[in-house]
Amino acid sequence: MTVQVVTGNHAAGYALSAAGEANRTARGAACGIYPITPQTEIVEYVARFPFSKARIVPVESEHSAMAVSIGASLAGARAFTASSSNGLAYMTENVMVAGYYRLPIVMVAVNRTLGPPWNIWADQGDTLMLRDFAWLQFYCESNQEVLDTTLLAFRLAEDRRILLPVLTCMDAFIVSHTQTETTLPEQALVDSYLPDLQLPHRLRYDEARTIGGMVWPHEDLSQRLEIDEAMKRVPDVYQECRQSFRDVFGRDPGDVIQTDGTDDADTVLVATGTMATTAREVVRKRRAAGEKIGLIKIKMFRPFPAAAIREACGSARRVAVLDRNYAAGSGGVFWQDTRAAFQGHRNDVLIQNYLTGLCGEDVTPSVIDQILADLASREVAGDPVWMGIETGKETLQ
Amino acid sequence: MIEIRIHGRGGQGGVTLAKLIATSRFLQGQSVQAFGLYAAERSGAPVQAFCRYSDETITNRNLIYEPDHIIVLDPTLIGAQIAAGLKAGGWILLNSPQPPGDFTEQFPHNRVATVDATSIARANGLGTRSVPIVNTALAGAVGRMLEIPLHEITASLEHLGFVGANLVAASRAYDEVRLVDTPVNTEPFDNVAAAPDTAQGRSILQAAEMAAPAIKTGQWATEQPQRQQMIPPCNHICPAGNNVQGFLKALADEKVDEALEILLRTSPFPSVCGRACPAPCMEKCNRIELDGAVNVRQLERFAGDNGQVDIKPSAERDEKIAIVGSGPAGLTAAWHLARVGYRVKVFESGTEIGGLLRTGIPEFRLPDTVVSNEIDRILGLGVEVETDHVIDRQTLLDLARDNDAVLVATGQQALRDLKLGMNSAVAVAQGIDFLDRVHRQEIRVDDEDVVVIGGGNTAMDAARSALRLGAASVRVVYRRTRKEMPAISEEIDETLEEGIAIDYLTQPMALHEEPTDGIRRHYRLTCRRMALGEPDESGRRSPQEVDGSDFDLSCHRIILALGQSPDVSVFPEGTEVREGTQLLGLLETPVFAVGDLATREGTVAGAIGSGRRSAVHIHNVLSGDHVEITRHADATRDVDIWHDEVIRADAMKLHLFERQAVAAGDALPLEERRCTFDEVHLGLDDTAEAARCLSCGVCNECDLCLTFCPEGLLKRVGHGFEFDYSYCKGCGVCAAECPRNVIVMNHL
Amino acid sequence: MNATAPLQKSDSCLLRPGNTNCGGCGMSVGLTMLGRALAEANDSCSLVIPACCGIVTAGAFPTTSYGVPTIAATFASSPAVASGYASVRDLNDEPGQVICWAGDGGTYDIGLATLSGAAERNENIIYICYDNEIYGNTGGQRSSATPIGARTTTTPTGKSEAKKNIMAIMTAHGIPYAATLSMAHPEDFSRKLATALSMTGMRFLLMHSPCPTGWKSEPEDTVELVRIAVASGLFPVYEVFDGARYRVTVEPDGSDPAEYFHRQRRFKDEDIDLDATRRSCVDRIHRLRMLAREYPV
Repeated sequence: MTVQVVTGNHAAGYALSAAGEANRTARGAACGIYPITPQTEIVEYVARFPFSKARIVPVESEHSAMAVSIGASLAGARAFTASSSNGLAYMTENVMVAGYYRLPIVMVAVNRTLGPPWNIWADQGDTLMLRDFAWLQFYCESNQEVLDTTLLAFRLAEDRRILLPVLTCMDAFIVSHTQTETTLPEQALVDSYLPDLQLPHRLRYDEARTIGGMVWPHEDLSQRLEIDEAMKRVPDVYQECRQSFRDVFGRDPGDVIQTDGTDDADTVLVATGTMATTAREVVRKRRAAGEKIGLIKIKMFRPFPAAAIREACGSARRVAVLDRNYAAGSGGVFWQDTRAAFQGHRNDVLIQNYLTGLCGEDVTPSVIDQILADLASREVAGDPVWMGIETGKETLQ
Repeated sequence: MIEIRIHGRGGQGGVTLAKLIATSRFLQGQSVQAFGLYAAERSGAPVQAFCRYSDETITNRNLIYEPDHIIVLDPTLIGAQIAAGLKAGGWILLNSPQPPGDFTEQFPHNRVATVDATSIARANGLGTRSVPIVNTALAGAVGRMLEIPLHEITASLEHLGFVGANLVAASRAYDEVRLVDTPVNTEPFDNVAAAPDTAQGRSILQAAEMAAPAIKTGQWATEQPQRQQMIPPCNHICPAGNNVQGFLKALADEKVDEALEILLRTSPFPSVCGRACPAPCMEKCNRIELDGAVNVRQLERFAGDNGQVDIKPSAERDEKIAIVGSGPAGLTAAWHLARVGYRVKVFESGTEIGGLLRTGIPEFRLPDTVVSNEIDRILGLGVEVETDHVIDRQTLLDLARDNDAVLVATGQQALRDLKLGMNSAVAVAQGIDFLDRVHRQEIRVDDEDVVVIGGGNTAMDAARSALRLGAASVRVVYRRTRKEMPAISEEIDETLEEGIAIDYLTQPMALHEEPTDGIRRHYRLTCRRMALGEPDESGRRSPQEVDGSDFDLSCHRIILALGQSPDVSVFPEGTEVREGTQLLGLLETPVFAVGDLATREGTVAGAIGSGRRSAVHIHNVLSGDHVEITRHADATRDVDIWHDEVIRADAMKLHLFERQAVAAGDALPLEERRCTFDEVHLGLDDTAEAARCLSCGVCNECDLCLTFCPEGLLKRVGHGFEFDYSYCKGCGVCAAECPRNVIVMNHL
Repeated sequence: MNATAPLQKSDSCLLRPGNTNCGGCGMSVGLTMLGRALAEANDSCSLVIPACCGIVTAGAFPTTSYGVPTIAATFASSPAVASGYASVRDLNDEPGQVICWAGDGGTYDIGLATLSGAAERNENIIYICYDNEIYGNTGGQRSSATPIGARTTTTPTGKSEAKKNIMAIMTAHGIPYAATLSMAHPEDFSRKLATALSMTGMRFLLMHSPCPTGWKSEPEDTVELVRIAVASGLFPVYEVFDGARYRVTVEPDGSDPAEYFHRQRRFKDEDIDLDATRRSCVDRIHRLRMLAREYPV
């Protein structure tokens, strides 16, 4: 294993390529690739990787990039791609197909603000737009976590109990373009971690079977139920994949949620991605000063680890959910699901939403402090709070 | 609330019917719903539509499982399952020409109404031929059935923009719908609604093959294709009764032996007919409309000359049959009778068997070896022959006593004469006699000017023979025009090509002897010009003399070829000599006349046909069988409809065929013909010409139907093909694409 | 006239009985002919079909009317899905063709960029467009393949624009093989399929495909309509190698195109400029003949 100073994109490109290469003893790898800032470096890495048995197809759109990966996956190859923002929006129709076709495609997404107007900086609205399409979603906060989670994603997606595609997400520039020391595992280790892909429903050239034709309501219902059952198996299978990851690489890729000081906290911050890194620093400092606050980092968003979050909150009465995204007319997406996790279980928790870091704003420790201050001042929860911008201004009526 | 369920097929307008009913109620102030059950149904697939109306606002958004009434748009959908959930006493309206009473047993708990909406729609030009749109007619019928006044129905139609024919259809159906308004069984009845579809629950992850959908699309069809066979014009016209289409098909497939075998089923003389037949089949050939008749004559010759078939009698029989005359009629009868095992003996008055085949047709048209070969094949069946055996009345009776049947085939031996006013016996020879002497190489006409009188093949043959025997000039004198000449058209062409003049509309009037030049006699033949008058009983326009048009022809020899007639002197006075009638009525032994003697047709092919018919007749009389003679090209094929009609060119899809020039075959150069009796026609080099046969009305396995069936459903089975009615949607492409009218669509 | 191909067993044929295509569907004829050509070439295929009547043809899960592996692709995606699928076939040295079977909407309109991408990359696939000149699956809306004058539900008074020349677009990519297919000329049809099957790289085939439902024609006229379209020069039948070498494979015989329009109720006399149509038929075939003369195969 070598430690190198690389970007998050480089780490992702390395993980995708090594995973693809690991399937050279089976049906190989194939995928479509298409550039978009800030993920371009990932597909560039993939394009120049010296694969033994793979075809990287430089297509004419994100829509086709996913389509090529779908075709490749249906033929039994390990398939993956990467995209971001409007690229994901353009790809959306085929993103959905990969999920409903139960294809273990892994996609790395660099979270970037959806446009127009054109904004290349971090915002999770792009991948959260895809939250309902039978994909697993992981949000990472470091280059290493991106690499590890991407490798784990293949093992998880391809497990016969799951067979669903996985999206690994990182914040634009803050992770994607930040160079930091990252352990790049040798190919032999990746080979030993990722067994040959055996997709049970891959098409065989002599078999009369149609994937994706018409379906009657009741028959389709049964397919949706199967997806739900697979989603429910994810937490357990994840732990198996995590354990073997530790066994092979000697490193923990991290749990589906990661907590800091929640055991005795009366106030808990819920955050994702690099916001969690910042929040963790604040929490640790203030805990050292005696405050009973904790942090839950949500790594896995789909399936949503509702029980784990509820449990991790322990006896806390106040929860702040930080969202680097805004579902117009509602609020933060993580807040919606976190709030729903408590419904019917506990009604003594004040769960307040803070919209922060949207559109590429920097979430600094002082923002976290402001959030904690606001939360402490509340008797009841209110509307989502927009951080870093004055609200209530007169605007055009 | 009233709920109605409509069963129809995609494209018939079921949803619109629901809307029409709903609109008629809406216009009366009621709350209504009309909707379809949408999926991926295509034109023709069974579909459902629904209609609700009520005085109260309708809040139900579900499908209708227990309707008050049911309407069935398509007669082929009528079945017990259609009434699933229908409330007892509710109406079931069927689009059917049958009276409602025919369905009361099937739907005993319901009131039944029927109307022939399909006929009404077709009569009003609604929809296409294959998919008539019956909804507006049925709207009228619904009105009557549900006691909705007609004007409320028409108001609905007009509200939705229907005009003209649709209104007519609705009001006609309103008048014509027939009702049985009491269920035959009024006992309480709980009709069970159809069970909802249940999921098979197959996982998308399952890797096994998938089965084909279990949808019998044959139930969609309103029409079905059927296999038909018609009679090709060549088969119909062939005097010999040959299966012309059949042997051409075999030749097209390069099966020369099979072609010969097919010909030998009817005629023992394919090589002869392939040279000497006037080939009426070619005159009737539908290909004339495209690019010229198929050269059937030369193809028959090819099959006869090149095929190899070994025919043996199929059985042994004790009955003895005597045949008088060894021309083509007698020998054909002998051939057929011997093939089925009769003991046949042929009596010939001359020294050679073959009759006119030997002596009446010159070598350059029909070589003697060709005749011998075919006669040898007949004799090979064990047919006995006795030559120099002249029959008179007494010996005919003797034959009748000694045999189980007698056929008299003495042909036409009485020759027509022409009075020319001098002792013509010296100056004038009969064509048949002339040709006989030519055949026996007893005559030359060196340096003579020869005049031949007549327009038949004998005249042409005599003229052409004279040319080859050294004549200085030959001319033919005929009193009508070329159009009326009975000779084979091609032979007239060849006669002219060889330098023989033909004087049409010319009647010889008188012959005068001129002073001799010391070597030979010299005559002057006075002729008169003729003009064509009205057609006579034979259909030919009879010639009329033109006054003052006389002119003279100088000549050394005159040959008369005016035709022959039968010599019936061996029969009792007043005997009607016709084919198929018993000649010596007092005898039990069947005695029949056959060939030219009976038919006066005067062609080899006609004689062959008569010989065959008579053989079959004799066999039926002797054996009690009922063998029938058909003109169908292939009477063993598996077809649905034997259409006993000749197929005309306009029933053929000639535009589907590519134009292709006729293969005529080579002929001797003109200069060689003048000095040799070698055969003029050299025959075809191969069978390619046979592929020009259109196979009119007879499947020739072109397989276009198999190629074009959109579903790939047609299957070849042996030499036929089969439809798969369980899936055939009745689109009609196979029928439309069949170039030869072998597939027809049948309305269900 | 003798298109005698051995017929496959019904349970192994490409288009199985039990499909719910309309009677007289041109696409069905094409599929049947394709299946026969594959059998003749002793070849097999997987189908990739975008949204169009062709995928509805498969029938409802878990049954299928296709006797071969078949993937439903999203409307614009079939050439891209096929690219991935065929790549894996080639990586593993496996047999069989990967064939996109798409309507004109998926080809001329929504999928054009994808198709262009696959063509430019010279993907090792066969793309067959069954062109029924209409969005048939949605009930008959105009596409850019709809001919001028045709009435559709979105051009109720007749389309005012001319049909897009997709063959010119595809040949401009310089792909190894592009050809038009006439089902009325089965020998030419199967020869071109055999040619396509024997090649590698991107092969594009355009089939004129009557839709009795959308064209409002008699189902039985399906093949005849193509025949008239070919004979009159409305639908030229030709092939282009490497985007550079041309051959006209069925010559029009100069038939009048009027009959073509009269047999379809989607055309109304008042919407059709017959003289202009006749001129365009002549222009079209002259241009192709010139190309075939100057740049022969």
